[in-house]
Amino acid sequence: MGGLNTTLLVATQGLSAAEAALDSASNNISNANTPGYTREQVQLSENPEYLNGDTVTGGGVTVNGVASVRAQLLNLQIQQQTSLQSSVNTQSSNLQSIQDLFSSTGGDIGSMLNAFSSSLAALSANPANSSVQDSVVTAGQNLAQSFNSTASGLEGAQTAADQQVTQTVAQINSLTSQIAQLNSQLTPTVMSQQNGGTIEDQRDQLVQQLSGLVGISITQSSDGEVITTANGSPLVMGNRSFALQTTTGSDGFQQVLDANGNNITASIQGGQLGGAIQTRDQIIPGFLDSLNALATQFADSVNGAQAKGTDSTGATGQPFFSIPSSGSAAAGLSVALTSGSQVAISSDGSTGSNGNITNLLAAVNGNMSSGQTPADAYGDIVYDVGSAASNATAQSTALGDNITQLTNQQSSVSGVNLDEETTNLIRYQTAYEAAARVVSTIQLLNTVTLEMGTSQSY
Amino acid sequence: MRVNPNFVPDIVSDLQQSQSTLNTLLQEVATGKSVNQPSDNPSASSQMVQNSLESSDAATYTQNISSTLANVQSASSVLSSIVTQLSQAVSLGTEGANGTNNSTDLADLSQQVQSILSTVVSQANTSVEGVYLFGGTASGAAPYTVNAASPSGYKYNGNSDSNSVAVGDNLSVQVNLPGSQIFSNSSNSVIGALSSLASALSSGDSTQIESATAAVDSSINNVSQAQGFYSNAESQLNSQETFLQQETVTLSTQQNNLVGADEATVATELSQAETDNSAALAAAAKVLPNTLLDYLVPPS
Repeated sequence: MGGLNTTLLVATQGLSAAEAALDSASNNISNANTPGYTREQVQLSENPEYLNGDTVTGGGVTVNGVASVRAQLLNLQIQQQTSLQSSVNTQSSNLQSIQDLFSSTGGDIGSMLNAFSSSLAALSANPANSSVQDSVVTAGQNLAQSFNSTASGLEGAQTAADQQVTQTVAQINSLTSQIAQLNSQLTPTVMSQQNGGTIEDQRDQLVQQLSGLVGISITQSSDGEVITTANGSPLVMGNRSFALQTTTGSDGFQQVLDANGNNITASIQGGQLGGAIQTRDQIIPGFLDSLNALATQFADSVNGAQAKGTDSTGATGQPFFSIPSSGSAAAGLSVALTSGSQVAISSDGSTGSNGNITNLLAAVNGNMSSGQTPADAYGDIVYDVGSAASNATAQSTALGDNITQLTNQQSSVSGVNLDEETTNLIRYQTAYEAAARVVSTIQLLNTVTLEMGTSQSY
Repeated sequence: MRVNPNFVPDIVSDLQQSQSTLNTLLQEVATGKSVNQPSDNPSASSQMVQNSLESSDAATYTQNISSTLANVQSASSVLSSIVTQLSQAVSLGTEGANGTNNSTDLADLSQQVQSILSTVVSQANTSVEGVYLFGGTASGAAPYTVNAASPSGYKYNGNSDSNSVAVGDNLSVQVNLPGSQIFSNSSNSVIGALSSLASALSSGDSTQIESATAAVDSSINNVSQAQGFYSNAESQLNSQETFLQQETVTLSTQQNNLVGADEATVATELSQAETDNSAALAAAAKVLPNTLLDYLVPPS
């Protein structure tokens, strides 16, 4: 072989290759800011030479396809870190609203405990003054209310986390069905030709979102990609998706069931769902238990001191606080006394005596049955809430830094660099011009050849 | 090596971080506190619960002291006035016993002692803001009322108890003595002695007058002892007040150490953060628009 026609053919292949490369650069530039887009490269390969006796002719170039430049391992690491961060972020935002309940704002339990203690101490100097007596009952009511509102704030946060569980499960189901749909389009042919291309970009983007909702584990099987929760409940197998379900549990909160109806609530970790479940089932119940124990012991302590004295009507002191027989003690704590005259101030039955104030003050400032003073016990809860919030924030920051680093690495592999694309654009433009010049040269030569012998010039 | 071409998220996150530091420092400067919510410093927030309880208790104890001091001081001045009255009664008794008085004089003296008795009783019924000082813990009603059946002509309505006012954690100071101990003690009664003296003077029996005068004289001791008690209580209250003042200073220093923001440090950090923020913004403005396209000659 050989000859002008061959050269023309090779030049045409050069034009196609340059066109494909320009197309790819153009597509990369267009998608420079598309989330989840992976830059594409044209796969070119040289054709075998033609041998004609001793003459060797170049075979030109073939465009093999367009491949996305992907970093699978980094994608996986980013997904894992996103799951962890999303979980602590959910906890952190819940704890932020919880810790406001325990901030020293004037209406919190600590401030109200101070006011109650002060009102009793003031009664010591004015035991017979009815307005001072009434102020003790008012301070007690305020304290009980702040216990109520703190407990209901905690329970509200628990309900909010519970709603988050239902919403997150719905989002997970929607994502898994979309992922299965995309998986069905990722046939082996598509994978071999285009390395997944835009479909895989979209799928990876959805998997990334899914990992923010729940901790997942990804494996490859003959069916394609298999996505399960961290404990192994299937979510996606190739082109099939498995929807999670929710059902109301015995505690009134939503339980998560896998596609086979098994309760997997306790084993779900990571992601928004894991964070919401942990907040709802572990973190908040811990605080509520401490608060209920404090409310019960404090009420018992004050009621015990009341019983040791006599009130201004001459009767033995009645219980100051009443605790509901069932349910949350902190949420149901209330003042049983209706008037300041029922405060058991007197130790000897006479109205001017303040002998029992010492007992009442000791109940407020001394040790309760747990061996702690109410202020210490409340201080411990404040510490627990504060440190849980600060740990969650610190973990979120640390994981965020990890993700930033990983994303940087991923972008350094898969991100579109406009300078690079501009350079490529110039490179392929030049290549196209050169190939076009070859075509026009061959055309000229062909004309010259065809005109051989017809000329009048000889 | 290929570098990350997409640094916009990094720049945005840096700017946000810088802004967040600025906000935190601004809040510290504005509130003067470095701990504004429990997560800022869980341990300090926890200690603050105890600290603020102690601070508010110290304030109440100080109020208790000032209101109690008023009562103790009134009681003390009542007692010194009574001592003066009693000394006068002793002089009257001595005068009545010297045998130079006629019945008119004695009746006059008796009348004077009787008048001292009513004054003493009325002073024993002193009340401050409705609280009777010498009724024991039965402070709601006048401790002494006229009662013809009683030998002294007066009946004690109070009890023999006393009140202690809380002026510190686990510290109470006894702030009153019952009238039964000061004025109508069964062995040495002020009111009984005055009443006997008045009757003795009107009867004119000098032996009775002498013994009644001696009884009034010895009853002064009772009142003096009570004076000693009140002055002791006053000094205890005063020294506790001084202690509470120091305690309040200590607590507020502790509070400042726990949650207060050091102004100089925060102001320096704020100015540093402002510089950092401006630098980050300036750098972003310089870096963001730069691409190769800026330097390529556009095709003609």
